[in-house]
Amino acid sequence: MSVKVDVQLDCKGLSCPMPIVRTKKAMDQLEPGQVIEVQATDPGSLADIQSWAKNVGHQYLGTKQEGDLLKHYLRKAGNYVMKERKYPRMIQNEELIQKLNSDKNIYILDVREPAEFAFGHIPGACSIPLVDLENRIAEVPKDRTVYVICRTGTRSDMAAQLLTGHGFENIINVVPGMSVWTGPVEQEN
Amino acid sequence: MNRKVTIIASNGNLFDAYKVFNIAAAAGASDDEVAIFFTFDGLNLIHKDLHQHLPVPAGKKHDLERFKKANVPSIPEMLQMIQEMNVKLIACQMSMNVMNVKKEDLVDGVDVGGAATFLDFAENADVSLTF
Repeated sequence: MSVKVDVQLDCKGLSCPMPIVRTKKAMDQLEPGQVIEVQATDPGSLADIQSWAKNVGHQYLGTKQEGDLLKHYLRKAGNYVMKERKYPRMIQNEELIQKLNSDKNIYILDVREPAEFAFGHIPGACSIPLVDLENRIAEVPKDRTVYVICRTGTRSDMAAQLLTGHGFENIINVVPGMSVWTGPVEQEN
Repeated sequence: MNRKVTIIASNGNLFDAYKVFNIAAAAGASDDEVAIFFTFDGLNLIHKDLHQHLPVPAGKKHDLERFKKANVPSIPEMLQMIQEMNVKLIACQMSMNVMNVKKEDLVDGVDVGGAATFLDFAENADVSLTF
């Protein structure tokens, strides 16, 4: 599994509390939405980094283990206020799960960051991060219904608006999104 | 999340210092509001000279090597780190009087106060610890 990250942080060989102290410093330099990979060898960092992220409000994506090396992935929280969703055509998670049960060929567009996608997405979903969508718009089929999903429904709302602005007619925003998704999930290996 | 964390440091050996400063650093890195009240031998931890050569408990000298191996920062480094995180350091006035410690003997950035000063801060703390 390859995870696209904005910043890598080397905390190898460091003991508690240094991995989170370093992570905090590095995180302060990031823009909201950016992803950091924290490399650590302290086994305690696995629990610590999750507690830290939860308390500070950042999103813990997951950890990959390679021998003694732990790679923790975190996404910096946004400081934007949750905007009202503007795009009117929505479907609830549960309805999408039902549709998936009867039709495996539904086109799902996941607009989260690659690292979020890598740690769990709907099987068969296509990954185009919101920031890349305009450049890669040709990859989205015009003749099919496109279900757009993100973590909480905000980025997918913006993606839906962007797509309809480019003449797409069958765009549906999936809400709330992957944060509370109970349907099938696969990880990249 | 901004919890309020208060710590009383009343002992002055190297291990005491790590217990205090590690928790303070972790809390500081979590954007918590942290204050440490240094009293009695705990004053060693912020004494300009003494904090650089804190005594190791009897029979534990061999642990120093392990600290190095585990890449644990030195106490002066830890102290500098938590000061950069704006951890509030309060030296106990009464202890200073008793032990004949002056404010200029302590590292820069330390507030001096009495028990009431600390209680004022600790009144609505989410976490209170004593070492």
